[in-house]
Amino acid sequence: MLYLYALSEPPTDAPDVLGLDETPLAVERMGDIDAVVGALDRARVEPSERAILDHARVVAAVAEANVAVLPARFGRGFTDGPALRSAVGERSAELTRALDLVRGCSELALRVLAPSDGASTVAASGRDYMRTRLDEQRRTERLADELHEPLAALARAATKSVAAGSELVLSAAYLVPRDTLADFEALVTELGAGHPDLTIACTGPWPPYSFATAEPGAA
Amino acid sequence: MSEHLPAAQQDVTLLELVDRVLNKGVVLTGDITLSVADVDLVYVGLRVLLASVATLEQGEAGGA
Repeated sequence: MLYLYALSEPPTDAPDVLGLDETPLAVERMGDIDAVVGALDRARVEPSERAILDHARVVAAVAEANVAVLPARFGRGFTDGPALRSAVGERSAELTRALDLVRGCSELALRVLAPSDGASTVAASGRDYMRTRLDEQRRTERLADELHEPLAALARAATKSVAAGSELVLSAAYLVPRDTLADFEALVTELGAGHPDLTIACTGPWPPYSFATAEPGAA
Repeated sequence: MSEHLPAAQQDVTLLELVDRVLNKGVVLTGDITLSVADVDLVYVGLRVLLASVATLEQGEAGGA
């Protein structure tokens, strides 16, 4: 099969790395979109640690060498060139818009964990319990906004999810122009200093995986 | 950003990487995809990893 690593704005500079099964990369031009693929001598790809890391390594190298790259999700392949061409052609307008969005940007990921309260609060009644849970949830949402909004303002686009009722206060991704990554990281450090009780893990820069899908939620 | 990171930060980085590669990124229609069972198996591993990250970080007393 033709295994898909990424879509890219032509002309694509294919990096000199090997992909899954140590196979070389190839670039298939489809109008305004290039596909970075590899020919694999098998019909399926299992999500082994090795294969996942190989996929990630190729996508990272392609994103590094090119200005606008949409990473493909792991494990997707096509029977042949025409099948790939038709799948890309079907959504070319949307994919071109996504390439425009990510041009010149990397993704930074943020995970914010609050210390768990343990089993300290024993509710007197069901109603008290519900009220406590609701208060906690509102507090978590406010805290998440307090962190997310200033960061989203520095990003071209952002996605966030708040897990209610868990230690994970905020899980978010930010699409940040590569030349302002340092500003973004400085703001993360500043926000962290203002919330010493939270564990803030900022990772990246990543290829823009979270913004490669059709219409990512704007900030 | 990947040099001299504490163990918990390395785990978070791995978690974010696997989450991106498996759950994000372009999916085109008509392609050969993984079976759901395969992805579920990876998730079991991920949940264990996330739990261990949370535990490690609590032990570090706000070390980010």
